[in-house]
Amino acid sequence: MFEIHEGAAVQIVAVSKHFGGATVLDNINFDVAQGEIVVLLGASGSGKTTILRIIAGLEMPDLGRILLHGKDVTQLPARERGAGVIFQNYALFPKMTVAKNIGYGLRLRRRPRKDIRAKIDELIELVHLEEHRDKYPSQLSGGKQQRVAIARALAYEPEVLLFDEPFGALDAQIRTRLRKEIRELLKKINVPSIFITHDQEEALELADRIAVLHEGVIEQIATPFEVYMQPSTEYVATFLGAANIITGYIDHRCFRCEDISVDLEDDMRIPNGQAAKLVVRPEDVFLRKAENLTQKYQPLTDGIIDEVSFVGAFERIAVRLAFIHDERLIVTRPKTETAVFPLSVGQKVPVGVVRFRVLPDNTREPVARVSAARK
Amino acid sequence: MSANVSGVKHTRGFDVIKPLSIGVMVAVMLPLVLLPLASIFIFGTSKGLPSFWHALVEPEAIFALKLSFVTSFWATLFNIIFGLFAAYILSRYTFWGRNAIIVIISIPTAIPTAVAGFALLLLWGPYGLLGRFLPLDMQIMFTPYAIILANIFVTFPLAFGVIMPVLETMSRSLEEASATMGASRWQTFWHVTLPSLRGAIVGGALLTFARAVGEFGSTILVSGNLAGRTQTAPLYIFSKFNEGQVEAANAVAIVLALFSFVIFSVLFFARDWLEAD
Repeated sequence: MFEIHEGAAVQIVAVSKHFGGATVLDNINFDVAQGEIVVLLGASGSGKTTILRIIAGLEMPDLGRILLHGKDVTQLPARERGAGVIFQNYALFPKMTVAKNIGYGLRLRRRPRKDIRAKIDELIELVHLEEHRDKYPSQLSGGKQQRVAIARALAYEPEVLLFDEPFGALDAQIRTRLRKEIRELLKKINVPSIFITHDQEEALELADRIAVLHEGVIEQIATPFEVYMQPSTEYVATFLGAANIITGYIDHRCFRCEDISVDLEDDMRIPNGQAAKLVVRPEDVFLRKAENLTQKYQPLTDGIIDEVSFVGAFERIAVRLAFIHDERLIVTRPKTETAVFPLSVGQKVPVGVVRFRVLPDNTREPVARVSAARK
Repeated sequence: MSANVSGVKHTRGFDVIKPLSIGVMVAVMLPLVLLPLASIFIFGTSKGLPSFWHALVEPEAIFALKLSFVTSFWATLFNIIFGLFAAYILSRYTFWGRNAIIVIISIPTAIPTAVAGFALLLLWGPYGLLGRFLPLDMQIMFTPYAIILANIFVTFPLAFGVIMPVLETMSRSLEEASATMGASRWQTFWHVTLPSLRGAIVGGALLTFARAVGEFGSTILVSGNLAGRTQTAPLYIFSKFNEGQVEAANAVAIVLALFSFVIFSVLFFARDWLEAD
């Protein structure tokens, strides 16, 4: 049986789905509170679209339940669920004007004509499309089409809003602006929303909570801050932002790999001898001694600068550590620091970390290996 | 390199191939297409318009034209309704034998129309496989119904062939969006799917109708070619010509030719309007 959480507007309970022999979703569980924005983040093929389609009622789960405001809707067809779906290509009805598109859900519900008109007026004002009321979708830009799609879904007061990669078809500048607009709008109308995306930046910016999906499994669900700062798996660490991964083992509350030794933080409980991975963000690696650092600094080893490249606001440096020969640690430094401590290729530097995660590695025997993984 | 140094305009030498090839093309196409059509009008009106009109208002001629248009109308209506139905099912569901059905539906396009008419006779004729079981007063061969049946047989793939690709390539998310907004399958079909098929339906109907009005091979076999009863316009042209009444044949031929020009123009020039969003 399943638990019903008080206050959860949307509950996905133990949902599994197979297509043919392939497991697309494996025991998916999460809640969305009223007014909360949850972003399902995953690569293509991770199963995120299938979750959305199952919640909308366009796909049937093999196992598990969907609850909307406490009501089990698993067996209900899409048209009786009252979910508002914003499709990737917006799926606006091409032969209907903007106003007709927005009023469609209300016309289906046989609301009085006067009420429909009033609601259309209200929504058109909400999404700022006053002068486009009688245009056809093909006459509108991508961003405006998206706003029509949102207004159309809001018209019949949906139980949940589902966004299928809503920014995929828009160019980068518009995308950032729309993200902010939509987040503000959703907070104003207080409807639970689920977005799916493969864009980590989008997820970090939009979400109250991010669910990282990998091969049909939710690897972690937490606030953007937590997911970034405390990734619970290697996949999360590398998919969301860049991360250096060093493979080693646990030795008396220390992470060890060759001559590297890092003290575990107090709250990390990993048994002695366990194979483990050290996960470090490029911005948390420092190529100098602890002097003048306010953060808690742990020295790793010495390294040789292998490559220095300038990427916009940051300098990206690849460092060869003393004990390995083929892989490199990636480090980023802000411009302010590059001016004070200039570094050049071939230079020998101390390497230390200020923030890191140690994750148990159940798949491997303790072996010493360093790998630098980037986004 | 500086382009404006000399100021001399570059010209290519006279290309003989261009006028020559255009000339050859016109010389071939003119006698193939335009001259035969022109001759209908030249002959048909050579004795003056009153004589043309007189030949046209012959009761048998009027009847033949009317019969052609009426039978074509019913065939078209059937094709559009059932063509939509078949195309919808075949594009929205996957099932065993789906491709086989699509092939079977399309077969009549490749069958000579005389063979189609003959096949219908063998099935529904008074001594046919099924026709022998029909009581005498319900026989359909050699009646206008046989003409409709033959028209449907020959033209169904045309209507289906125009509607099916549009339905197959139509984005499924339109229908899914409609469903999530609360529409039943029928409401979705009526409000969302059908409006997007407007162009295909008009196109399919015009093609079917034009083809059915001109149908000869299958009609002459199944209709019995009875003047004033089952004689369609093309059969009238054929019969009158055989009887040496060239003028009578010509008058009806002009009407059919004009009619086909109209349909062709609609299909050709109104395509943008039909397919516009």
